[in-house]
Amino acid sequence: MKKTFSIGGVHPNDSKISSGCRIEVLPVPGTVYVSMLQHLGAMANPVVAVGDKVKVGQVIGEPSGFISAFVHSPVSGTVKSIGPRKDLAGWNITHVEIEVEGDEWAEGIDLSDTLVTEIPQDTKAILDKIKLNGVVGLGGATFPAHVKLCPPPGKKAECLILNGAECEPYLTSDNRIMIERSKEIVVGAAIMKYVLGGCPAVIGIEENKPEAIAAMKAAVAELQANAKGYDGISVMVLKKKYPQGGEKQLIDAVMHRQVKSMGLPIDVGAVVQNVATSLAVYEAVQKNKPLITNTLTVTGDCLPMERQHNYLFRIGTPLSFIIDQMGGIPEAAVKVVSGGPMMGKAIVNLDATTVKGSSSLLFLTAAQTVRKEQGNCIRCGKCAEACPMGLEPFLLNKLAKNRMMDELEENAVHDCIECGCCLYTCPANIPLLDVIRIAKGDVIKIIRGRQAAARAAAEAAKAAEAAKAAEPAKVAEPAKK
Amino acid sequence: MNKLLISPSPHIHTRTSTASLMRDVVIALLPTVIVSILFHGWSEIIVLGVSILSCVLLEYLITRFLLKKPSTICDWSAVVTGVLLALNLPATSPLWMVIIGAIVAIGVAKMTFGGLGQNLFNPALVGRVFLLISFPVAMTNWAPVKGFIPGVDASTGSTLLGMVKEGGIEALEGTSYLNLLFLNIGGSAGELSAIAILAGFIYLLARKVIRPHITLSIWLTVFVFSGIMWLIDPSQYTDPVFNLLTGGLLLGSVFMATDYVTSPMSAKGGIIFGVGIGLITMLIRYFGAYPEGMSFAILIMNATVPLINKFCKSKKFGR
Amino acid sequence: MTQTIIWTIAIITLLGVLLAVVLYLVAKKFKVEEDPRIEEVEKVLPGANCGGCGHAGCHAFATSCVGASSLDNNFCPVGGNETMKKVAAVLGMEVKEKAPMVAVVRCNGTCENRPRTNEYGGYASCRVKSALYCGDTGCLYGCLGCGDCVAACAFGAISMDPATGLPVVDEEKCTACGACVKACPKGVIELRNKGPRGMRVYVQCINKEKGGVARKACKVACIGCGKCAKVCAHDAITIANNLAYIDFTKCKLCRKCVAECPTGALVAVNFPVPKAKPAAPVAPAAAKVEKPAGAVSVKEAPAALASEKKTVETKEEQK
Repeated sequence: MKKTFSIGGVHPNDSKISSGCRIEVLPVPGTVYVSMLQHLGAMANPVVAVGDKVKVGQVIGEPSGFISAFVHSPVSGTVKSIGPRKDLAGWNITHVEIEVEGDEWAEGIDLSDTLVTEIPQDTKAILDKIKLNGVVGLGGATFPAHVKLCPPPGKKAECLILNGAECEPYLTSDNRIMIERSKEIVVGAAIMKYVLGGCPAVIGIEENKPEAIAAMKAAVAELQANAKGYDGISVMVLKKKYPQGGEKQLIDAVMHRQVKSMGLPIDVGAVVQNVATSLAVYEAVQKNKPLITNTLTVTGDCLPMERQHNYLFRIGTPLSFIIDQMGGIPEAAVKVVSGGPMMGKAIVNLDATTVKGSSSLLFLTAAQTVRKEQGNCIRCGKCAEACPMGLEPFLLNKLAKNRMMDELEENAVHDCIECGCCLYTCPANIPLLDVIRIAKGDVIKIIRGRQAAARAAAEAAKAAEAAKAAEPAKVAEPAKK
Repeated sequence: MNKLLISPSPHIHTRTSTASLMRDVVIALLPTVIVSILFHGWSEIIVLGVSILSCVLLEYLITRFLLKKPSTICDWSAVVTGVLLALNLPATSPLWMVIIGAIVAIGVAKMTFGGLGQNLFNPALVGRVFLLISFPVAMTNWAPVKGFIPGVDASTGSTLLGMVKEGGIEALEGTSYLNLLFLNIGGSAGELSAIAILAGFIYLLARKVIRPHITLSIWLTVFVFSGIMWLIDPSQYTDPVFNLLTGGLLLGSVFMATDYVTSPMSAKGGIIFGVGIGLITMLIRYFGAYPEGMSFAILIMNATVPLINKFCKSKKFGR
Repeated sequence: MTQTIIWTIAIITLLGVLLAVVLYLVAKKFKVEEDPRIEEVEKVLPGANCGGCGHAGCHAFATSCVGASSLDNNFCPVGGNETMKKVAAVLGMEVKEKAPMVAVVRCNGTCENRPRTNEYGGYASCRVKSALYCGDTGCLYGCLGCGDCVAACAFGAISMDPATGLPVVDEEKCTACGACVKACPKGVIELRNKGPRGMRVYVQCINKEKGGVARKACKVACIGCGKCAKVCAHDAITIANNLAYIDFTKCKLCRKCVAECPTGALVAVNFPVPKAKPAAPVAPAAAKVEKPAGAVSVKEAPAALASEKKTVETKEEQK
């Protein structure tokens, strides 16, 4: 019996049309626009000036906080401008515009194809390389990778989970890299496993990717036979079910442990990294190559087979350039999505640029994506059945519309992972997630506010006690809940 | 393509819709409908036709002219109510009675609460119970009607449960389980054939329209409860298999207790709901004044659904 | 027979008396002591429970008034000065008069002025839309047109004009409770001085982008050119972030700025018609919007104003 997560989930048609398309290297465009906000956290500060000559792999943005990341130039050329440019949702973000001249790489980057299997033994050096090369989680959240690989004191990683589930329909980039770059991914996994203190590593792959499963198993076996430091790495085949690739769901499927509400994976001893992140870690640590390329799927039911692609692109390539390369937007498409159809973002601005986390350009037709008219809730409970977090979307929807914040919190709206199962499954086409997402934000704000107030109160109490001198301290009771 | 379409995720939707679910229920009811037409003939066709027509028409008129909202007849829910109401009536029902039933079902039980999804009680059952209490004679008139299959015209004047209520368990001499399974002579259209209803049940499960919790828990409760009573005194209490196969139990447990709107949301709630229905049904059958208690049991448990929903929450992840 | 009736009457009477005693005792035991003035204050309040005063409802407001030492921090925007005078009379306190305010829509991005660049297909709510992306026009700051303000208004004072896609404030009904200001995720609506006979001058735009960008997105955008600030003799206009804002406490309604504005983002409303000549370039746009009013005094509805007080969140802040 193949494993999967225990609550809810849906089975949309997986539509992995482009899974057989080999990764092609996308040409470098004439101009790239590198966003300074390609990761979760604080925006990076540009460290180049207009007119500067940059090389491929040169740092052009530095992190501006603990949770932030380095940004590197994906091309060599001249910085044309630094300023606001609209991202794919239409918001202004600082971008560095670089006009491409040649392809000159910065020093110290190993451009050869040789597989380096020997794992360096200096944890600090490895982490520094991951950080300096701007590696972020490529599973969607783009959380800086080095932060996740340093468990907070007192917590120990018991299992490294490599996320190869790729449960979103249509997406095939992870599938392709698992087939074509399997050994590199396994080396990356071994490096991360070493950093985490040698815990076992499990590569979780959904059953609908047999080729990737075979390739990864072969790579693990080969490396285990020929090199040191690869013990304890295994491939686990998972049942096909969305959202298996959700961090909490994957941990549940692989380790049978459930991360508590508002908790982190490390609380149950898990660290989850995407297979693409593992590849980036390999390149960063073994080749000293910064994260300046990623794989992107171009797909959609309205595209003929020969126009389905998996591209290796330079980060900063404008979407419009990719669309030109693949031959324009198909007639039938009404929506272009960056990411999968369940959690991806609809693109409003096709001139926007690709970022580290770009994983696909998905073209959807009107029949697939236009929402049907909303009907009455028939209380079928299908949303609650589908919710992988065990929530009751029908109830949350009602509470959110009446702005009942206490009840929303009681019913754990803040646990929502925005996977979209409820809206996907609702036979009455009620925009459950649209409403719940907003309520979730509000409730999290309330919870954070309360926590901050409690902290402040505790600190004030502490200060007062300190002032009272050596009298036995009475621990300030943090505000309830 | 001129303007990009933007909306929040998810960008795709399952093909299942309210209308497709309701249509599946109608399809699942077809075997039962066909059997009843075969055995009750033209009179059944007329009852069915009038019931469906008046339900759909009423829903249309009320939504259009009273509520001034877009009409909801395209979602098939009125058709389901119409078919279920007809299957709950004797084939001999006078047409005015069918129409009154439809008015109560759609007008009172459904639309006064705000239409589909808002009603507390199952509309078809409210219609049936209203008729049963208002016109007890017409509602229990199981007089023989001419069916399309010669030779097996329904010939008894009473249902088996009615016979037990009046004449005690001895009245059952000579009925076999096989008979009950295939053709349960006497009773309303929906009580005719257990096999036809089971076929519908399997279809609903296969199409994932309903979950089995409610139905199975009703069956199990009825079986266990009547089994205990039967073991205590087989001369006074009917046996479990008989209880499962007679009366409206199958039709009610498969099609009416599982009605989305009036049943609990969670699986756990569904089991409590089912056990309640099973117990109340058997209590009425064994000790009540009516020979059959399924309708009352479902309606009584319908009233507890909000409470069940409040206390039977699904298990949350990581809690 | 007679005896039965007598017994019935006796028992029921006895029961009634008994229950009355129980009720009395319970009421006595659980009586909530409350300052009687709270009830008196509540009586003179409008009772809309709109929350415009910042309290949870009229009762909470009354409690707050009774508990406060002065009425300076408590003001009922719905009842206005008259109600506050009554409250003051009840409590024997002084109250300062406040100038009447009105909600003003600071965006004139009609379908014509601000062409749509994409199509929004999600749930029709401004909050959902603004959380998702920049909106279906080139303007990142203006009205999203989904009507969250309409839903928030407890007095039915805001409606969407289908022709412009913008909300229209009915000045007669608007109580300046501020619910719409809170509901608007873009901060388009501002509470402004109602002005003598409703006459107001304000900037009908809150776009903070550079002039060229703003103008490209919307024909009537404020481009922050500063001409209005130069011409203003009362120091009422400030320019910040490419946007002009008129301080209504300083504005003397001279309307020199209106004539100066090159894009027509600056508007004057409710001024007598013959004298409106300097405002000519604005008139067409404004006139279109005001259509629904058309009463004796020229009512101009949607109004928009730029303010730094209610800063619109920029993209960076949202991230």
